[in-house]
Amino acid sequence: MKAMKLCIALLLMCCLVSCYSVRLKVSNGQAEPQDNEREDALSGLYVRELDTIIKVKTTTDEYPINIRDCESGALHTVQIKNTLGGILLYVATFGSKRKVKVTYVCLKDPNL
Amino acid sequence: MATTKETSRDRWDTIHKNGPFPLKLFLETKLEKKANLLAPIDRYNDAAIEIQRLLSEALDNNEGFRSIGSKWSMSSIAHHKDRMHFSAYMNLKFEISEDEMHSDSSFQRENVYLFQCGNQIKELSQYLENRGKSLKTTGASNGQTIAGCISTGVHGSAIDVGSVQDYVVGLNLITGPHPEDIVYLERHTKPALSDVLPTKMNAKIIRNDGLFNAALVGLGSFGFIHGVVIEAEDAFLLQRYVRKIKKETALKLAETLDFANSKFKIPTELDDNGKGKRPYHYKVFVNPYGKEKEYVIEAIYKKPYDPLYKAKYGDPIPFMKEFVYRDLIYLLVKISQRFPKAIPKFIKALNKTIMPEEKSGGVKKDIIGKLSEIFWDAGYQGRAFACSFGVDHRDARKALNVLTKLTRDEGPVPGIFAMRFVKKSEGLLAFTKFPYTCMVEIDGIQWKKSKKLMSLAEYATRMIEVLQENNIPFTIHWGKNANWEFPNLAEHMYGADIKQWKEYRSALLSEEMALVFSNGFIKKLGLSNFDVAAPEDLIASL
Repeated sequence: MKAMKLCIALLLMCCLVSCYSVRLKVSNGQAEPQDNEREDALSGLYVRELDTIIKVKTTTDEYPINIRDCESGALHTVQIKNTLGGILLYVATFGSKRKVKVTYVCLKDPNL
Repeated sequence: MATTKETSRDRWDTIHKNGPFPLKLFLETKLEKKANLLAPIDRYNDAAIEIQRLLSEALDNNEGFRSIGSKWSMSSIAHHKDRMHFSAYMNLKFEISEDEMHSDSSFQRENVYLFQCGNQIKELSQYLENRGKSLKTTGASNGQTIAGCISTGVHGSAIDVGSVQDYVVGLNLITGPHPEDIVYLERHTKPALSDVLPTKMNAKIIRNDGLFNAALVGLGSFGFIHGVVIEAEDAFLLQRYVRKIKKETALKLAETLDFANSKFKIPTELDDNGKGKRPYHYKVFVNPYGKEKEYVIEAIYKKPYDPLYKAKYGDPIPFMKEFVYRDLIYLLVKISQRFPKAIPKFIKALNKTIMPEEKSGGVKKDIIGKLSEIFWDAGYQGRAFACSFGVDHRDARKALNVLTKLTRDEGPVPGIFAMRFVKKSEGLLAFTKFPYTCMVEIDGIQWKKSKKLMSLAEYATRMIEVLQENNIPFTIHWGKNANWEFPNLAEHMYGADIKQWKEYRSALLSEEMALVFSNGFIKKLGLSNFDVAAPEDLIASL
């Protein structure tokens, strides 16, 4: 019984961390650069992350999430990561709690 | 005021992870906000004041200062152990008005632009495309800053165009902390700007071919490049073909660049007499371990701009992302990252590999697009190395044979060769110094020395040795891997031009600022020596 519980716990953990991500990128804009030591597709870019749970109440609508830190006022890359845990949270709370994990890169201010 | 964020650091690395290198202080300058300082020229001058403040601080602390852009160079040319400055947010752009053009200028006003140092190639392309213009060439990618490109001699394979620095017609340098240390340089035989704009920049104007050509490929050591005046051209399209052709045909083309009388013909690229047209770009891919009888070549032809090209021929970007030869090395990187111990076996497998032709959905696809689309985002591709030698194109076959033989006999080395071709540059220390330079290059993944693999340092040394043993004059790409401490290397490559370059540098910079703008890279090459006897007339405006 103990072993079974452990297996279920492990399975649940795997489900919660398992995820997929989708990356959107504009093709005709320059991303904000940064001197960093990343070794992935966003290497050399100024990457920001948003990892939160938003609560939607009957009286308030949380949409959209405002991004205030792009000086150019525009996004270059947005990577949305979804986890099974996030989906379960959404279902279990009837949509009132939504896990959001977004990685984004702003468009470089072209200084025109 | 423009502001600079200062961060204490203990190390810095290139984008391809060729370091890490030690570092004390990292500086990042951002321009004053538009809302606070509306006129672009005021923001530009404000940034110049900030750079002079940073130079003054470096000087006061007896430390060196080096500006970097996108840190794509794999050599240590961009590194300084003391202070490194990230300039990519200094990206103002200026059109030139009639009164700002020199009365004797042969350039069309609409094609002349001033760009601040941190503008990246992609944003410049976009800016120019919005005005119906284009850069003449790029480094076959788009992430570098304009100042970084010209400082290291970045090139594509635009045979009759040259490298990025070859369409630069003016330079605004900051050589020190004093008001008289802001200078504007251009050629006296090909002036571009009148005194109006340099005066607005508070710059001392020097029109002098020799000085300009020395500063053009300045290795980051001729002062801080604040602005670059370039000549653009009308928008154009490029049509790209990838073909397999006989080795002999590909090599004969490399040696002669005679496309009219070559056996290589593309039916849609013939002149009225049925002779092959001269392409804008020619590149040969060479698997040093392969035994196939053909090489893959890339030929790109220039076409008039057609605003409906996407509707007629499709969007080129998805195809460029997909095609194998855009960056063949990507495949090597991915596999080797996952299985580093398999590098020797993987290389062995290349023996049997026949390079596939590019296809999309099973159909051979020739692409048409703008310069910025054909040479689109390169992106991060892992820990990479690249060694790149410039030789006279008439020596291309000989140099390729010597270097590939070395790679097979004393290697293996996890990389693939290519040959690109570039017109001579007027830059005194441009590695494209031959009438037509063939850049013989090997790109690959970094590896660790083992019983089966020699080290990159050993390989880089042997490459120089075998070229010397075979009496092949050569240069080395300033931004690529090499044994930069090889004895007498700079003089071997450039002869008397080295002395001349040092004299011009010594005449333009004060001795103390020459030290500030010197780094380990130019010291290794013996280029940092200051010549106190450098004649003053070297920097006279002619």
